[in-house]
Amino acid sequence: MKRWRYDSANDVERTPLERLRQFPREPDMLVYGLRSLGALIIRALLRVYHRFEIIGHENLRTNRSLVIVANHCSHLDTLCLLAALPLRKLHRAFPAAASDYFFQSVPRLWAAAVLVNALPFARQARVRQSLTLCQEVLANAGTILIIFPEGTRSTTGEVGEFKSGIGALVAGQDVAVVPCFIDGTFHAWPKGRRMPRPRKVRLIVGAPRNYRTRPADKLDICAIAAQLRDAVNELRLVNASH
Amino acid sequence: MSPQIALHDPVFRGYFLIVLISLAAGGAVLAFLRFISKKESASMFKTYWSWIFMAGIGLIVVFLGRIPTIVGVTFLAIYAFKEFARASGLHRDWWMTGVVYAGIITVGIASLVAHPRAGEPGTAWYGFFVAVPVFAIALILLIPILRNRARGELQRMSLAIVGFIYIGWMFGHLGFLANARNAYGFVCFIIFATGVSDVAAFTFGKIFGRHPLRSEISPNKTWEGALGAFAVAMILPWLLRFSFPFFGTRELILTGLIVGIGGQLGDLSISVIKREIGTKDMAATIPGHGGILDRIDSLIYVAPLFMHMAGYYYPLR
Repeated sequence: MKRWRYDSANDVERTPLERLRQFPREPDMLVYGLRSLGALIIRALLRVYHRFEIIGHENLRTNRSLVIVANHCSHLDTLCLLAALPLRKLHRAFPAAASDYFFQSVPRLWAAAVLVNALPFARQARVRQSLTLCQEVLANAGTILIIFPEGTRSTTGEVGEFKSGIGALVAGQDVAVVPCFIDGTFHAWPKGRRMPRPRKVRLIVGAPRNYRTRPADKLDICAIAAQLRDAVNELRLVNASH
Repeated sequence: MSPQIALHDPVFRGYFLIVLISLAAGGAVLAFLRFISKKESASMFKTYWSWIFMAGIGLIVVFLGRIPTIVGVTFLAIYAFKEFARASGLHRDWWMTGVVYAGIITVGIASLVAHPRAGEPGTAWYGFFVAVPVFAIALILLIPILRNRARGELQRMSLAIVGFIYIGWMFGHLGFLANARNAYGFVCFIIFATGVSDVAAFTFGKIFGRHPLRSEISPNKTWEGALGAFAVAMILPWLLRFSFPFFGTRELILTGLIVGIGGQLGDLSISVIKREIGTKDMAATIPGHGGILDRIDSLIYVAPLFMHMAGYYYPLR
């Protein structure tokens, strides 16, 4: 009789807190259940409280890996983008979240790891390492990576400069990049406010693009970042077609 | 069981005092040891703080009443199974783990609700409680058929069945005991006596341990520790006779045997699983103890054996 092989979780001997911090995470039915339940509640709240509306939904319909790039002025942004995805893809969607902000205090860590499934992104030191992590994650087909290339929440509601890291991530890679514009979250829940206000929120999903043929040199990645910023900013002009 | 009854129940009040005294005595011994020998005892203190934490939670949950006790046991079982699944690699299989979680919740429900046609006395549904494994195993065997896959399925089915029966259902008996007429006596005695005999095994093993008990399974356990724990477990039913005043000598001896031998066997059988998988602890949930499963392993053996023994001689409800 051949011996059975046990494919143990690689974090068996870590404490629960260390387990929340580590990435990639081990599959966990209980966490998946909680996340799906949370997503349903968040979706319902967005619909009712913010009259949430999605334009260009069809641009997200693919089984290949995606990088979603969007403007950032509120915590609501991540929730809106997640609400645009089908529930079954939720556990393979990773919003990149600042590890210095979301992966320190326990309540934020719990929300980031369990509810949002965030990818810890070191935005001050070791950016290169975080980008490599993003690329590894994207190598699995069907992964959705959500990135706010401004690197922080805007305090004016305008779309700021995109960091060149987004260019380095997608240049020369065969991965679809979807620019999105989120409208209204700045008024609904700006940085520094405790609770969201009931303002209308719209998500406009642009057409996917691909930077497979672009080399990853310094000038080019800055150009890609600038192009993506313009693509996101232009979506602001799209009006509700219905 | 309810907070009002617990406040006036001599058995619950008795256990409240006994637990406080035991923890104080344990703390005093540890402090004395540190004072005398100046040895590195940080790990022992970590274990001790965890004991205080667990005793506090246990007392509060039992104090709150029947429903919190059963819900608490169900949560513990779910978490313990999660540790087992993560250690054995079953956690990658959504359907198997999902069915086992559903089975554990069903065990909890069968302990909570009464028979819908009032076919049995009391608050729980004993017939269904005992029959849950039938349905759970039937569902687990159904999964490979639905998936149309045979490769590796025997291992997954076996792990799921062991996980459900052992961790979900057998441990679930502790929750079912909360329905007994003598719930405080049974539940408090079982938890307290198992805990004390675990500590006794550790202490006797540390002091007198020479001969390995099962060298291929758990190298740290010794015959001396096991015999010490057995002796303590045989005395406890007499010392704590107020928890079941209606027990005769025969039942007291059986209780001692179940706690003394069953507790050790529970410990060893989890060690078999850990040894085969190749991990030291099932998880690192409780500082100084390992995982939840490492802590409740003796109770898994003791609770069902005790419940059926007590139920044989006296109607539980």
